[in-house]
Amino acid sequence: MPVPWEALIPFGLLTVMFGAAGTLLNTSKRLQNQGKGPRYNIDAWDEMMMDRDRRLTGHPRGQRSDPVAPDDFSTSSMWYTERTR
Amino acid sequence: MSLFHDPTAASTPYKDPTPLPDDIPKVNELGATSAPLKSASFFIGAHCKEFNEDFMLCKQESRDPAHCLKEGRRVTRCAADLINKLRENCFKEFEEHWNCLEYNNQEFYPCRKPERALNKCVFEKMGLTKTIPGTPEGKTPVHELTNPVFKRQQK
Repeated sequence: MPVPWEALIPFGLLTVMFGAAGTLLNTSKRLQNQGKGPRYNIDAWDEMMMDRDRRLTGHPRGQRSDPVAPDDFSTSSMWYTERTR
Repeated sequence: MSLFHDPTAASTPYKDPTPLPDDIPKVNELGATSAPLKSASFFIGAHCKEFNEDFMLCKQESRDPAHCLKEGRRVTRCAADLINKLRENCFKEFEEHWNCLEYNNQEFYPCRKPERALNKCVFEKMGLTKTIPGTPEGKTPVHELTNPVFKRQQK
């Protein structure tokens, strides 16, 4: 008996389209975050720490565990340019 | 006329226009980023308790930056000393734990297994334990629970 396989084409199309879009989105997010998933629920503390990470390593998700900072770290803060009043 | 010169691409190094006076001792800033610091946070609390408390009490007196420079130098030196010791003694466990934190939004609950290994190594080699201040009396702290409610979905 002939099976109506043409009726399953839309299901296949939807699966492939959702899968491709989701994979593309995941890849894009991982490329932006150095291979890790993006940070979420970021509060002001986390933003401050990620800005510090950017000053230390060049990327907000970069990490290093050296006890001594590079020489230009002590003068690269935006504190110098902030208004105090 | 109005050309933007990117400061990161400058040919000469940046010269600080308002440096600290020479009679203030120079201390190198801590070069550890957020994940290693979060991983070492409880050990910094155990190792540097007096210096941290001194600094916080000093800041409570006055928020002027010049008021607490000495206590601040002590805090930086103590934390850098602890990070050095951690890297000397337990480098592998330390790196594994903060890498795990980085993959999990820097939250502690999915990384209990590497944390247990790090706590064991630090206790054996450096004598520091992680204590969570404010745990209710009689209850096990959350990092020692054997069957926690919040955990990784995959094993």
